[in-house]
Amino acid sequence: MSVAPANDIAPSNKKLLLYEASTQFKNWRYSGERLVHIRATLNKAAVAAIRVKIETDEPGSSKDVFFLTPDDEVLLVKLYITKIGQLCGFFRFPEEVEATAVTYLKRFYLQNTVMDWHPKNVMLTALFLASKTTNNPISLESYTSHIPKTVASDVLDLEFLVAQSLGFEFAVWHAHRALWGIWLDIQNLSDSMQGLTPEVYDAALNHVRASRLTDAELIYTPSQIALAAISLVLPDITSQWVATKQLNGSSGLANVLDDIKAMISTHGLTPDVESVREVDRRLKLCKNPEKVVGSRAYLTRKREEEMIAEEKRNKKLQKGNVEQDPFGNPLRQRKGLVDYDDDDDDDD
Amino acid sequence: MDAVEKANTERQRRWVKDKKVGEGTYAVVYQGREASTGRKVAIKKIKVGQFKDGLDMSAIREVKYLRELKHENVIELLDVFSSKTNLNLVLEFLDSDLEMIVKDRALVFLPADIKSWMAMTFRGLEFCHRNFVLHRDLKPNNLLIASNGVLKIADFGLARDYADPGYKMTCQVITRWYRPPELLFGSRYYSSAVDIWSVGCIFAELMLRIPYLPGESDMDQLKTIFRALGTPTEEEWPGHTKLPDYVPVGQFPKPAMRDLFTAASADTLNLLSKCLIYEPRKRITAREALTHPYFFALPYPTFPSKLPKCSNQFSARPLEEVDGNVEMNASGPGVKARSLKRKLTPDEVEDRRSIARRLDFSKHTPGS
Repeated sequence: MSVAPANDIAPSNKKLLLYEASTQFKNWRYSGERLVHIRATLNKAAVAAIRVKIETDEPGSSKDVFFLTPDDEVLLVKLYITKIGQLCGFFRFPEEVEATAVTYLKRFYLQNTVMDWHPKNVMLTALFLASKTTNNPISLESYTSHIPKTVASDVLDLEFLVAQSLGFEFAVWHAHRALWGIWLDIQNLSDSMQGLTPEVYDAALNHVRASRLTDAELIYTPSQIALAAISLVLPDITSQWVATKQLNGSSGLANVLDDIKAMISTHGLTPDVESVREVDRRLKLCKNPEKVVGSRAYLTRKREEEMIAEEKRNKKLQKGNVEQDPFGNPLRQRKGLVDYDDDDDDDD
Repeated sequence: MDAVEKANTERQRRWVKDKKVGEGTYAVVYQGREASTGRKVAIKKIKVGQFKDGLDMSAIREVKYLRELKHENVIELLDVFSSKTNLNLVLEFLDSDLEMIVKDRALVFLPADIKSWMAMTFRGLEFCHRNFVLHRDLKPNNLLIASNGVLKIADFGLARDYADPGYKMTCQVITRWYRPPELLFGSRYYSSAVDIWSVGCIFAELMLRIPYLPGESDMDQLKTIFRALGTPTEEEWPGHTKLPDYVPVGQFPKPAMRDLFTAASADTLNLLSKCLIYEPRKRITAREALTHPYFFALPYPTFPSKLPKCSNQFSARPLEEVDGNVEMNASGPGVKARSLKRKLTPDEVEDRRSIARRLDFSKHTPGS
């Protein structure tokens, strides 16, 4: 799997590159401005909604709340991106699991806000889901038993929400794959072999890893990020390689690379724990009360959901009564905690 | 309601379930339609709540790959939504499958018909392989047929990306009769060639109208293969005796294919034998197959809409593709593939055996 695998199939310009047919290319690329806008909009809507809920819970209490800003949210998510790395090290997951989980987490927070769903939980679900989508599944039991204070429902309760937020688009193209492709290809340059030690590759890979803490993958292609990472380590060889690929014609490549490099060096750092702690403290006060188990808003919402469910059950019961067996209805056997036969036709 | 949930509910409303057309252990399939257009669809509802590990691997694989793969000869996944503890896949509606067509004794296949099905299979498969996806469960009832005759590869529940060189994959894949010898010998490093073997078996089945290599157990499968194609020599397939599960199963001479496929043209037999080459690296690729002289020789492939069609369409399509699931009680990474037993009723098995017996293999396997 190299950077541009479709090239050898058909030289015709009309043919779509494989990457261009991917859901990543079609649905998960943004401009920097667009990202800012999306996050601001989500944040604003969440703050407004939560303010109303806090007021219903306890009138007048929302004016002292310092809600999170979009930047606060990004910072908190970033901390949990680093936690994914730690967990992956612990479980010895391959690089692909980690990279995929990180992508899932970032994509999730382009649809949802930290004030509704704490990244601490979403991160666990994203990683578990990524282990399955990348074909490295482990049992939920062994997953949760190795993570302190975590039970199965912490992971599974959010699985659908995470999958929905991803639009059920699980395949992700990664920069570390592209880096490997470039690394192999660069060795074809006649005079480049001396400098290409494993340490150099690892240094480039570390830049790719740093890029995961940034928005780079939401803006640039995996191969652009990989190229930037390797050019941070091997500037001369990289430009030589680029020249042989005649990529110079695509104007702006240099600018793109400079952008990514700047992103990696300014944002590709583990966030300062103190500042994250401050954000997390404020989050305790401004998170959506509907999602806080036991709060008044939470109970109200649960009650509403119960009522709707009850109504549905009654309707079904009435429907059932019409065709009652004159000899009495057969006893219903429950197979487990949940009766799955129950919902065959009532969810349209 | 959250925006994401709301979007999910909206998706759900786009589709209407009309009637149940099949039920398996883990899934129910409905015939349905798009509410706004009336377009017919199939809705596969997977009961996720039953799995202790959440979304199960075959559902995840199917969604993952079908979300990405859009091709005329690959089934189209139109939408995905969840409802309570269920995952719903909205798929294009397809009338029948190649197994039903092969079994329908009322139908007569012309060589041009077989060429057409093969061309569509190879085209879809070439697209999968070009996208680095191994299907790993090709067989006639996973090749679905649309009402206009177009063939589409379906059921990606066992599919995966090619592993990088040096990374293991499970050999417990592909339904036995279509499973290549390298998997039967336990090879954990393999390639797109595994799918090509399956296509070769399907190709032969289209000509014979019965499964070509119907082994009764994994061991018998190897024997069946060798009886039909001769026991491989070290020269033909270097290193195969070093594979993890290698066992000698007897020496069978290589019979002439022509003796069994009496009506086939030289081009046909050439392509067929290239799909069934023992050495996986020498086996033809999907892309090479598409440029094989077979496809350029007369008769030209039948136009899809003119292909033989089943009279009893989609009445009781068995749901075996959604029955199996990956067991995830393993403690570490790694997949235990589902059991791959082809589910036949005892009657069916008996029926097939008697057909197979009628085919006189002894004629060209004097060693057995």
